Amino acid sequence: MFAIAYGELVQILRNRAVLITSLLMPVAVSIFIINLRDTFARIGSLGYVGAVLVFTIAAFTLYATTVTSLAARRQDRFLKRLRSTAASDPTILSGLVAPVTGISLLQIAVILSVFAGIGGAAVQVALLVAGVVASFAMMLALGIATAGITKSPEHAQVTALPLSLGVIAVASWVGITGTESLAPLERLLPGGAATELMVNAWNGDVPVTESLLLLLPTLAWVIAAVALASRMFRWEPRR
Amino acid sequence: MSASPVIEVDQRNLRYGEFHAVKDLSFQVERGELYALLGTNGAGKTSTLEVIEGHRDPSSGRARVFGKSPTNRREVRSRMGIMLQESGIAQDLTVAETVRLIGHISGRQDSVERVLNLVDLAHKGGTRSSQLSGGEKRRLDFAAAVYGRPELIILDEPTTGLDIQSRDALWETVQQLREDGATVVLTTHYLEEAQQRADRIGLMHQGTFHLQGTVSDLTRTLPASIQFSLPPDAPALPMWPAPLAGRSYSIETFALQRDLKNLLEWADDHAVELSDLSAAPTRLDDVFRAIGAESVPSPLLVR
Repeated sequence: MFAIAYGELVQILRNRAVLITSLLMPVAVSIFIINLRDTFARIGSLGYVGAVLVFTIAAFTLYATTVTSLAARRQDRFLKRLRSTAASDPTILSGLVAPVTGISLLQIAVILSVFAGIGGAAVQVALLVAGVVASFAMMLALGIATAGITKSPEHAQVTALPLSLGVIAVASWVGITGTESLAPLERLLPGGAATELMVNAWNGDVPVTESLLLLLPTLAWVIAAVALASRMFRWEPRR
Repeated sequence: MSASPVIEVDQRNLRYGEFHAVKDLSFQVERGELYALLGTNGAGKTSTLEVIEGHRDPSSGRARVFGKSPTNRREVRSRMGIMLQESGIAQDLTVAETVRLIGHISGRQDSVERVLNLVDLAHKGGTRSSQLSGGEKRRLDFAAAVYGRPELIILDEPTTGLDIQSRDALWETVQQLREDGATVVLTTHYLEEAQQRADRIGLMHQGTFHLQGTVSDLTRTLPASIQFSLPPDAPALPMWPAPLAGRSYSIETFALQRDLKNLLEWADDHAVELSDLSAAPTRLDDVFRAIGAESVPSPLLVR
């Protein structure tokens, strides 16, 4: 797996388009959000800013890059070449998504640390970490699933957009309006419960036991996303 | 060393939805053999290879490589090198990185430098694959396939896009690997390559074998031809040739040596000069064309 992961990391770092759109742009957006943190905090809360940062990285670095790079590797028949070796499918897939997952986690760790240093740290750090990990797992699996219906890296700009914008919209909706009125709907949407969890974790104004329940719909989304990925992902271009 | 076949395919069928791509295919490839899988476009060659490679499960029937399911990558792939029809090379990796990566996960041990020298790409080791020519990419793909000297090498149209020097070098490497005991399965559209190098050939058409055997077995299924022209005053021939244009004739025969001898003796006895005389044995191209035209008895399987 490490040889595949290293090869994939090299390819990501050498591809200027992927580097700019998927890795540098999300960081730039995050810097913009942190810079305007007081404005965002007034319409939501610091926890809301934290959740939006998490989903910005999850949507654009992790999800969009996963879709784009898997579609590119399939189009180049590189997936088939890898499958012509002794490596198993889970090893290949893990190796291919490991670099972007690592980069995303590193990005969010640095960005949230900077944000915490400037705006104030999260109250329930362990809960926040659980929310970040679950959100990333969901977005990674959804990325693999979306790659299954994406014909080419160019097509990924179309197929990845709805969910990328969708989860940020859900995070903003939940983060700004709270869940007093439409809680069941908001918690059922992808990223809805995770946003509420992370907002609670950051602000610390809800008991941990109550927030922990929000992990259930989040984990349900992770399971659903993994099931979608295993059903929708294709190793070869359609014949 | 085991005497069991390296590849065993038994009553294999492969369907894509309603399309029956491969029908009741059975064959074996013995250790050390070079087996060429030839056929018309869409005959099912690549589909057959994909089952042997473990990329596709047969709809029915059985396939075994080294006595195991070809989908058992851990057991089978470390002994098998695969050169795909389409390159499958990562554009942003260098030549050396590509061979190192594929070699590493092939489960075999080798030196990247040795393999790149083998395909004359050592000087391109630091070049990104996207900057290689089509022929260089094929050579890189071949390098990845032969990394670690696998026991079984699958070559899917290996020489397409290669210049003559590269082709010769590739076949020289294949020959060296065969001398070390490697088994080779080949598909190609260059019939002369199969005719020169294959121990046995399976000729596919419309998803099944129409002929299988050695080159000699296959070419024996069609008559050879003797062509010549006669002077206007020549006496009647002892055999019944098919007339061509003017005074030219053609004899189709399954006994080329005997009939040629008879013809020459007749010409000598009657002081007739045979102008434009030529005798041509059946070539693989003729068999191939006959299969395309469905003028060969089918299926005729010669073991």
